[in-house]
Amino acid sequence: MEAKSFKNRLQIFLLLLPGIFMFAVFTIYPIGKLLFMSFFQSGYGVSLKDAFAGFQNYKMVLSDQTFRVSFDNTLLYTLVTVPAQMAIGLLVAVLINELPCFQVGFRVIYYLPVITSWVIVSLVFKYIFNTEGMLNYFLSQVIHVTGGNIAWLDSRWGGLTVAMILGTWKGVGWNMVVFLAALQNVPKALYESAAIDGCGPVHKFFYITLPSIKSTTLFALVMLTIGGFNVFTSIKMITDGKPMHQTETVLTWMYYKAFNEGQFGYAAALSFIVAVVLVFLAVLQFKAMKNRDEGE
Amino acid sequence: MHMKKIRAAKLWIYLVLSLCGLISVLPMIYMISTSLKPNGALYEYPPHFFPNKNNLTIENYIYIFQQQKFYLNFINSLVVSLATIALAAVISTALAFCIARFRFPGRKMLFGLVIATMIIPGTALIVPQFELASFLHVTNKLWGLIPFYVAWVIPFSTFMIKGFIENIPRDFDEAVYIDGGNVFTVFRSIAVPLSGPAIASVSIFNFLTAWEEYPWALTVINDNVKRTLPIAISGFFGEHQFTQWGYVFAMSVASLIPVLIIFICFQKYFVRGLQTGGIKG
Repeated sequence: MEAKSFKNRLQIFLLLLPGIFMFAVFTIYPIGKLLFMSFFQSGYGVSLKDAFAGFQNYKMVLSDQTFRVSFDNTLLYTLVTVPAQMAIGLLVAVLINELPCFQVGFRVIYYLPVITSWVIVSLVFKYIFNTEGMLNYFLSQVIHVTGGNIAWLDSRWGGLTVAMILGTWKGVGWNMVVFLAALQNVPKALYESAAIDGCGPVHKFFYITLPSIKSTTLFALVMLTIGGFNVFTSIKMITDGKPMHQTETVLTWMYYKAFNEGQFGYAAALSFIVAVVLVFLAVLQFKAMKNRDEGE
Repeated sequence: MHMKKIRAAKLWIYLVLSLCGLISVLPMIYMISTSLKPNGALYEYPPHFFPNKNNLTIENYIYIFQQQKFYLNFINSLVVSLATIALAAVISTALAFCIARFRFPGRKMLFGLVIATMIIPGTALIVPQFELASFLHVTNKLWGLIPFYVAWVIPFSTFMIKGFIENIPRDFDEAVYIDGGNVFTVFRSIAVPLSGPAIASVSIFNFLTAWEEYPWALTVINDNVKRTLPIAISGFFGEHQFTQWGYVFAMSVASLIPVLIIFICFQKYFVRGLQTGGIKG
């Protein structure tokens, strides 16, 4: 190959160097450090001087009631928002795909929440779901489905509901674009032959569309699961874990322990558990994807 | 009869899409309309969706734009985001080019690590990264944000650009080598210009990532004048939360404008970036 000469090898090395340097220092080293810290009783400003703690931090995390609450909350958030945004996103994509015109217009409208920052949309939702806010007024005074104002942000389930509505609302546009791209790659001939066989739209969707976009569906599933476990800003802005840490997610609780209580060892162990869970879930999903592809 | 049925179906599709679309934009419209009400009208009951004709005002915007802090925060965000996308583009393209084109020891492992690190959420590494930032003395420094943002976006950017470079025919490289070119020449005259669309689409995503990043900036930046927009907005909200939603939303709308401009100008790259990701997956 042409790249055998010493000069070319040196040039390849020089091109790789900045990337490998950044990656090693700012990503790989912190991952190693995270594992290391999780075995020490370390806090802010002190690290190596502290005592080796073995699995003490892990034991503390796993027996901590608030960690369980935050883990359940995160799991619930992921289990609700991921299927919800995928289903709505796919529905919208299928409908937009049928349109002869205004496709771009609808795409822009649905994509607006995606490009707006989490800080801003969280504040807007906090304002809308305020006890004296617009939504309560609409529910109780305009369409009369609730008797009085609901204190959305003062309870565990209320706060989580708001965060989940926000997460779904913000995620639909991303799913729509991803699924729309996949739909436009489905061979038209498949639909035409199905139409000749007298298939209705529902049959077409389940027997042609869904199987054809399988790999995209799994791609979205993996990305959104990671995103679901990463939920942080919306909870921090809307409830900040209140009341009594009942609405914490794993990362907001980790953040609280690290930067409000200075328990870095605990936070590191918690982060590591989250990372392991995510790697496990991703491998599981990739495996499922591979098995399905081979089954074809 | 058949035509009528199709037309009715189309009508339903438009209706459903418009209704869902309305839900999609309603909160944003509400934000804009609230930013145009006087601050005193914000806890009126019953609440009004739109401001009355006679209390429509731009006083919230005037207040925001009169504050020097806002310009500083805005420029901070712009500097950090632009530096992030420039550095990430150069570094990721070089990395992607080498992984796509050459065999070198550790190549498979390097790409495997790139994929693996995309799985771990950035916020999970915040504690060791904070220690690293303290060790490097870059906490509470604006430019200290940049290397961390660059490192976060490198895996995804490399992944996307590598996929694109693999589709460039190797004959182009050969032609340059025959003309006496070396690896650098191929990189500069083939890889960079021909993977332009991929670089553009990842750069847009990287810009959004840096522009809206919240947890890391919140953790390492303390000084008001060094804040980026997201923490400036949340800090401003923290100081004024029960009184001045109008200011908060005026600031939010103003911070949304660069994003909107980019989105409207580069719409096709947005879609392309996501499409590549979707098909690859």
